[in-house]
Amino acid sequence: MCRNASYTTVERVIEVRELTKSYGRTVAVDGLSFQVKPGSVTGFLGPNGAGKSTTMRILLGLDAASSGEALINGGRYTGLRRPMYEVGALLDANAVHSGRSAFDHLRCLARSNRIGTRRVAEVLEQVGLAGVARKRVGGFSLGMKQRLGIAAALLGDPGVLMFDEPVNGLDPDGVRWIRELMRSLAAEGRTVLVSSHLMSEMELTADRLVIIGRGRLIADTSVRELADRFRRGVTVRSPRSADLTAALAAAGATVDTTPSGALSVQGLAVDEIGDLAAARGIPLYEVTPHSATLEEAYMELTSDSVDYRAEKSIAR
Amino acid sequence: MTDVLFSEWLKLRSARSTQWILATVAGFVTLCAVWSFYIARYWDGLSPERQAKLQAAPAEHPLVLTLPLCMAVLGVLAITSEYATGLMRSSLAAVPRRGVLFAAKAASVGGVASATGLLSVGVAFGLGRLIVGDRAITDFRTPVSEELPWLLSLGLSAAVVALVGLGLGTALRSTAGAVTGLCVLLFVLPGLAPLLPAPWDERFAAILPSNLAEQIAGDAADPVLGPVPALLILLAYAVTALAAGLVVLKRRDS
Repeated sequence: MCRNASYTTVERVIEVRELTKSYGRTVAVDGLSFQVKPGSVTGFLGPNGAGKSTTMRILLGLDAASSGEALINGGRYTGLRRPMYEVGALLDANAVHSGRSAFDHLRCLARSNRIGTRRVAEVLEQVGLAGVARKRVGGFSLGMKQRLGIAAALLGDPGVLMFDEPVNGLDPDGVRWIRELMRSLAAEGRTVLVSSHLMSEMELTADRLVIIGRGRLIADTSVRELADRFRRGVTVRSPRSADLTAALAAAGATVDTTPSGALSVQGLAVDEIGDLAAARGIPLYEVTPHSATLEEAYMELTSDSVDYRAEKSIAR
Repeated sequence: MTDVLFSEWLKLRSARSTQWILATVAGFVTLCAVWSFYIARYWDGLSPERQAKLQAAPAEHPLVLTLPLCMAVLGVLAITSEYATGLMRSSLAAVPRRGVLFAAKAASVGGVASATGLLSVGVAFGLGRLIVGDRAITDFRTPVSEELPWLLSLGLSAAVVALVGLGLGTALRSTAGAVTGLCVLLFVLPGLAPLLPAPWDERFAAILPSNLAEQIAGDAADPVLGPVPALLILLAYAVTALAAGLVVLKRRDS
């Protein structure tokens, strides 16, 4: 399946260095640097308008960077003669000519890179569109168009894949399908970069995360590291903190004292803490579970960089 | 380059709009035949004196008016449909060398338009001759060898108009803008030319694309331009528009 196994030996398949892109006075990408390594799915996360699509367009040579570099396999995309063999990209599933059939759409793209019609039929089969190959794309649902866009990306059997918001418009089955597809592509040693504004989706798909906001890098981390950083815990306040700490520690919990004097407890559930305190007659003033999911960690990380937000109170 | 050329040819061929445009041209070729048939029947009903005096537009006349418009739309849509849908990004991702992509587009559009132009004009002319037969109608009796330069320059003009459409469409990235621009060039300016003071009215009219074919063929009654300058001006339209399109394509983000 994997045309060129040597991709796995390249350490930095996608490399963005000090990338800046401004449109007039608006800075879409601002000194962004990150690397994407092969063999894993890297989630490219950020709120709407964070600069994800702009970065991907620059990587593909569609937009010119104001300064900095965006390299794939150590070179610029625009220097590639038959790029579909090296990089497959899905930018916008709606970017199809509605009057063409799915087969013709892919054949036009394939032909430009000397890819045969047999491969076109193969990828249509792979994404589950073989039955509608001769139908006009205009009648496709967004989910079908997403599959068609993924088929186009897979045409050249490339070692690097970039998907911009690929799960938009997919039904739950479709979401699961693409999740498994991306994981299997990465497992074959390919480099997979997937952008999304939904942490909940990336949590299930990605191994690594590149989180950006307002064009700047916020975090470049693994999913596990991020989860550890924002681990679940319970905040407990009691007038007998010292006794409670000892009791909780004896029960196997990890206890930290927060600056405000409350206890941050890890490793015990709310009920267990309550029972434990009651058994020892320790009064509790507060028992608050934190559900610091990755979603919340992400919200916290990007809270300063959300461009478009509904105002809580609307002046009348 | 040949791969990209084939790809562009496939794109043009598989687009619904191309099929509709070619069907419209075929429809007007049929209209040319209907016109010839009507003239033949009309001629049959006239007295010999009136037959000798009959002045009728030639068989290909309905096509002469429609072909440039159809080819303009063909050329414009070849690029603006890609910008409108966003497909242009996929095209550029597949072929990052923009000059190569644009050259392939120009070659396929130019090829299809000149083939369409020559074929449709030739068929319309041939059908006219076939239908009129040996009736001595003035404009249907000129020897084919004398008509050939005119028919060839009509076909060539069709290709040039399509390429101007492609260039203008690439520069403006708007179907409406480019089609309007071409309509002004093909249909509005010829109407405005007579408003200029002499001799500029004739000079200006002479360089408009719709008047060049006649001058290239040497058929114009009182030509301002000789065949060669007229041909060069016609080609200059295509070159200028394509150059403008290429500059914009290379410089701007997509």
